[in-house]
Amino acid sequence: MSSLKITTRDAATGPVLEIVGDLDYDHADELRTVVSGLTLRPDQRLVLDLAAMEFCDSSGITALLAARNHALAAQADIALAAVPANTLRILRYVGLDQVFTCHPDSDVATVP
Amino acid sequence: MSRTGRDSPEPHGAGGDGATTAAFAALLEDSAEELYDSAPCGYVSTLMDGTIAKINATLLDWLGLDRHAVVGRTRFADLLTMGGKLYHETHFAPLLRMQGEINGIALEVRRADGTRIPVLVSATIKYGSEGEPLLIRATLFDARDRRAYEEELLRRQQEAEAARRRAEADRARLQEALAALQQSLLPTVLPDIPGLEVASYYHTASPDRLGGDFYDLFALDGKRWAFFLGDVSGKGPRAAALTSLTRYTLRAAALHDPDPEATLATLNTVLHERYSGGDPRYCTAIFGVLEPDQDGGKVTVRLASGGHPPALVLRADGTCDYLPTPGGLLVGILPEPRFVTAMTTLAPGDGLLLYTDGLTEARTGPDRALYGEEALRTFAVDHAGSPPRAVVQALSGLLEGFGDGLDDDTALLALGVPAARP
Repeated sequence: MSSLKITTRDAATGPVLEIVGDLDYDHADELRTVVSGLTLRPDQRLVLDLAAMEFCDSSGITALLAARNHALAAQADIALAAVPANTLRILRYVGLDQVFTCHPDSDVATVP
Repeated sequence: MSRTGRDSPEPHGAGGDGATTAAFAALLEDSAEELYDSAPCGYVSTLMDGTIAKINATLLDWLGLDRHAVVGRTRFADLLTMGGKLYHETHFAPLLRMQGEINGIALEVRRADGTRIPVLVSATIKYGSEGEPLLIRATLFDARDRRAYEEELLRRQQEAEAARRRAEADRARLQEALAALQQSLLPTVLPDIPGLEVASYYHTASPDRLGGDFYDLFALDGKRWAFFLGDVSGKGPRAAALTSLTRYTLRAAALHDPDPEATLATLNTVLHERYSGGDPRYCTAIFGVLEPDQDGGKVTVRLASGGHPPALVLRADGTCDYLPTPGGLLVGILPEPRFVTAMTTLAPGDGLLLYTDGLTEARTGPDRALYGEEALRTFAVDHAGSPPRAVVQALSGLLEGFGDGLDDDTALLALGVPAARP
């Protein structure tokens, strides 16, 4: 049985969400719920750390886009960190590598 | 749950005190006659012709009759309702005479006030020393509580049955609605296009999760035709609503301005306006225009892609190559997206295959490896030069072979110029 765990921490740049497990049809809504509860300031950057994400399907991609919309609505920035190879392949496929800023890891992503 | 002797009354003979023993003995002196008369069941004895010879007080009380009015004057069958009387005559009495006994027959007795009591009747024949039948002894148990219980059971069963029938009818209606909706998302038949053959296929991953793949092929004017194929985000009714919006927007946009990039841009504007915010919805799509040339039997294809897997071109000479459209963005995400265009010409025997990622993202083999674009290209090489119908048939066989490795809807649309006749 797949599972998803999301932990939130605060970096100098703003909240960092660490996504562990499967961001799929059954669990993607959990990320949406967490993100919609975040209050972002205009100068902040929401970082989604995907280093421990094991699987991401189209529902997961949709949840990433929902997070982006949430950040943009607050006039904040969003970045992805440590995107797994297969997810990066899909992001490139659908042109989303032009939409999301991708960093090698969350340390780089949280440099002010 | 167990009980100890200390908690429960001492059973008889287990060493109770003298007073208890005396009380018990007094109870046991209860006469057989007293037991017969006041037993919690009805007793009746009749002659072989049914004339009542003896009846206990319990049964007389149930019937509301006086002993003198019954004994020697009434037959057993006269105590029964009309239906009971009939059953007694045709079944009860003959069986009893044949077997010498009969057990647990459900009948109804009539009371003096006109009401009825359901009873369970058992009877035996007493025989003389020569084996000749002497009299009939019958026991009647009051079955009112039991009847009420059975009726309650039956009523519950009927209610459950009715609920089940309602649920089945609801499910059938829902399936019908889903099927009708699904059909509205796909063309019933593809149009006949002079000088072009077409074939399509739709694989549904789950019957109750309406699919998000779509395709269409339609005339733009006398000389050109438009096609599209794509995949919307999500599954279920909301995805179906998005599919419907997408399909009809593309059709309308193409009639206004059939330029592939402009058509996708119009769709993008519509989806972005409709679905921005916390519930982003989008699609991938390839939209193209077919323009057969007037004399040479060739067809020019111009297409644009928004985040969709590249179309595959199958040549008459047995080669296969993708028509690359890298970097085209999902439709509906950004206000000003980039779509990527491509162009090719199909000669006689050439074909174009459009598919959704259910095919290339399928998992195959024991290690559940991604099927992938290269495997698809290699597979298609064997079918290059075949008519679209044969290509789609081969691919639907391939999809079937994926088994549960294929967990997404998959749409196929193949177009081809018929090979020149020798």
